[in-house]
Amino acid sequence: MVAGLRVFTERSDDGAAGTPVLDTANGEELMHVQPAVAIALGNRPPESPGTLYISTKKVVWLSDTERTKGYAVDFLSVSLHAVSRDPEAFSSPCIYTQIDTGDEDEESESSDSDSNEPLDLSKITEMRLVPSDHTQLDALFDIFCECAELNPELVEENENEPEHNWIFSADQLGPNMGLEIIKQPLLRGCLIRLLPDGVDQEWDSPQADFIIGQLNGTHDLAPHMLELQINDQRFEDAEEMETNNRNGDQHGM
Amino acid sequence: MVNYSFLCVYLFDFQIVNVNFIISLQLFFSYFKDLVGREVTVELKNDLAIRGTLHSVDQYLNIKLENTRVVDQEKFPHMLSVRNCFIRGSVVRYVQLPPEGVDIELLHDATRREARGG
Repeated sequence: MVAGLRVFTERSDDGAAGTPVLDTANGEELMHVQPAVAIALGNRPPESPGTLYISTKKVVWLSDTERTKGYAVDFLSVSLHAVSRDPEAFSSPCIYTQIDTGDEDEESESSDSDSNEPLDLSKITEMRLVPSDHTQLDALFDIFCECAELNPELVEENENEPEHNWIFSADQLGPNMGLEIIKQPLLRGCLIRLLPDGVDQEWDSPQADFIIGQLNGTHDLAPHMLELQINDQRFEDAEEMETNNRNGDQHGM
Repeated sequence: MVNYSFLCVYLFDFQIVNVNFIISLQLFFSYFKDLVGREVTVELKNDLAIRGTLHSVDQYLNIKLENTRVVDQEKFPHMLSVRNCFIRGSVVRYVQLPPEGVDIELLHDATRREARGG
């Protein structure tokens, strides 16, 4: 899978502009076609006219006039999508999307880019799709949602793997509280931070954090876990509890 | 079906007391579902933090928010206009929950049970 936006030129020959060639052999289906859609990449001016094709796997925009011009992005790389209607943010109502380029360190192209620079699609982090028929925005949003849900993260296939393979136990933790993590190759951490009553919501003062993993890529999770420093009376009994558990285990629980 | 197990970790107060709990997907999924209609803040891995009413959540923790607003408006001015959005579960770094929506005891008990093997 290619992360981010890419050039897409595979068109069928039917009609003047053709339609995108889909990977039907692997079950890709066309979900929606929206004619008369302009596309704006990053901070660049919108390109039009074009047609938007939404398949079960990706979003494709094809120029109506230039057969060699087209873009595609997999739903796996669409981090966020939304309906944007504020004329101050963008001149026309549009579907706003953020694109995960898979390149976390790079400065995003969209923020400060000069429109005259050559276009590097792989660095584009924002894409706006502007249908001339604004009434279709909500329908498009819903189709995006539906297709995003059809494309969950690629998680390892071997279901027979016992669960404890990727669970690290207290025993695996080093004496200096180092966290020795996880053989599971595909690990995505999601951390839930709980804030106590009466505390103004601030990111910098965690009281209790939960990590949940659905998982892909150990590199993400490790730093978050090391951030955790919990000083929370609510869990004071946990040590005792764990001891009890262990005792229980010894007695063949 | 892919096997989505969930993992929950607490670290306690600088000691080497670490208790690891396994939480079933079902627990967290239903936990989030109970928060529908509440105000949450979702921080993405690109540092964008969006506050909004939780509209729905699916099994992949894809999150739909309504009445959204961007926490750091100066850094992300273009998101100001967005009123609803869909966030891919894989790009979520944090979900900040409303204190009143968090039943610590329930979560605590549930994780305990899970840790004991059900």
